[in-house]
Amino acid sequence: MEDIILKADDLYFSYEGEKSHSLNGLSLEIGRGKKIAFMGANGSGKSTFFLCCNGILKPSKGTLYLDGKPYDYSRKGLLKLRQRVGIVFQDPDNQLFSASVYQEISFGILNLGVPEEEAKREVEAVIEKLEITPFRHKPTHALSGGQKKQVSIADILVMHPDIIILDEPAAALDPKHTTLVNRIVNQLTEEGITVMMSTHDVNYALQWADQVFLFKEGRVLKSGDPVQVFSDKQLLLETNLEQPAVLELFYSLCRKGILDSSLPIPRKLSELEGYISALK
Amino acid sequence: MVIIDRLCYNSKLRYVNAGEKFAFSVLTLIACVISRSIRISCLVLIMTGVLTVWKGGIPVSRYLRLLTIPLVFLILSTLAIVLNLSGTPMDLFAVPIGSVYLTGSRDSLAYALKLILTALASVSCLYFLSLNTPMPDILNVLRRIHCPRLILELMLLIYRFIFVLFEISSAIRTAQNSRLGNRDYRTSMKSFSALVSALFIRAMKKSNALYDAMESRCYDGTIHVLDETFPPRKREICWILFFEAALYLCVAAEKIVL
Repeated sequence: MEDIILKADDLYFSYEGEKSHSLNGLSLEIGRGKKIAFMGANGSGKSTFFLCCNGILKPSKGTLYLDGKPYDYSRKGLLKLRQRVGIVFQDPDNQLFSASVYQEISFGILNLGVPEEEAKREVEAVIEKLEITPFRHKPTHALSGGQKKQVSIADILVMHPDIIILDEPAAALDPKHTTLVNRIVNQLTEEGITVMMSTHDVNYALQWADQVFLFKEGRVLKSGDPVQVFSDKQLLLETNLEQPAVLELFYSLCRKGILDSSLPIPRKLSELEGYISALK
Repeated sequence: MVIIDRLCYNSKLRYVNAGEKFAFSVLTLIACVISRSIRISCLVLIMTGVLTVWKGGIPVSRYLRLLTIPLVFLILSTLAIVLNLSGTPMDLFAVPIGSVYLTGSRDSLAYALKLILTALASVSCLYFLSLNTPMPDILNVLRRIHCPRLILELMLLIYRFIFVLFEISSAIRTAQNSRLGNRDYRTSMKSFSALVSALFIRAMKKSNALYDAMESRCYDGTIHVLDETFPPRKREICWILFFEAALYLCVAAEKIVL
């Protein structure tokens, strides 16, 4: 039996007078310590679901469970919930409220009522860990997009959440910073943090995720192992996604009889490359 | 304003304890205002200038250009003191216009000069503070001296969002220019009004998003943050005390003599 940390049961939510971005009977289960990718067209309800996970939005119908207990929307309950489930928002400019990096990072942990001395240590530790030291004395408005992203992850990480939600972390980042963010994400998983990430990058999702949820119109259209989800071309078409290049090439080579279709399905370019170079 | 911000983050005095800088500029400012003397003002102007340019490493040309901004205002506003329309000519100069004279006296010129110098010296004190101290550090000092929390939090958020909104507005402006939005007077007026309304809507949206993001980090109505302070140094405090003592002695001496 799998260890479920977060469970959504038949969630409904809609913004006033708007049809898109709403949730329409969303149900899913998230395993502890897993790497979960959320995919789907814009407006399919991913961000709305994330805001529900964190208690910012309250579903009009349906229940969320954390560790098997239904969400408690009292003041105290929310405080506890938000410590355990943190969101890194897509646009850092919507998240960073202070011009000072140090102040910015200290906000979350002080709100938890941690004494100042301890908070200072934690902030220093997270600055060190996320490689923020070289620009820690710069004002936030002078940071690059990637640096802002690092700070916004630090914002959440300093609170020691069990689940960290990243809303399109690689949006508008250059390849160097994307790699850096991906490395940070891997570190989080190693520490046992459950990572939920929305992304449009099918290639990254294929090699990174343990599980993929495909959203459509506020519901889970399909979930499962990334290879399984991404092999269904019809499904991908319905959600405005494309098949990962590795899979497309692998299946095409199998059809042409160049590769043996009984080989385990590759998830990374390097694996496929290995198969091809082994042909000689 | 953006220039001042950029300069203060690169100032060599940036990591000096903000309380020291704050005390220095406020005490000096008060001395300027109560003395209202040309000599004291000149002394202060030189002192703050030397500190900002030499110690702070702010380029001289930049500093002088910044000082000309208030200077223009001061000259324009003191013009009214110097110039008089009168039937009888005064001692400094008199230009006859019909039956009256456009005229001025030596006293009023001296008075205007005193006003300009006092104001300029006061502004230079504030320039010293703002060119060498980033805004978050100034806010820390204000909190220490028990400025109301609400005002400080507003200042913190406004300061941050000036830059966010500024970025958005310049992006909108570029987008408008790239589509000939400022071709002539009519279109540029239209574009400007579109810019203002778009900016307003964006600001509303941003503030909602920011509130959500703060909520998600357990925001409870007050912004709790840690200060990053730089320890005060004895030598600097001694210098400040020495200078202020000397300055106030001069002020007292002037008041007694005159």
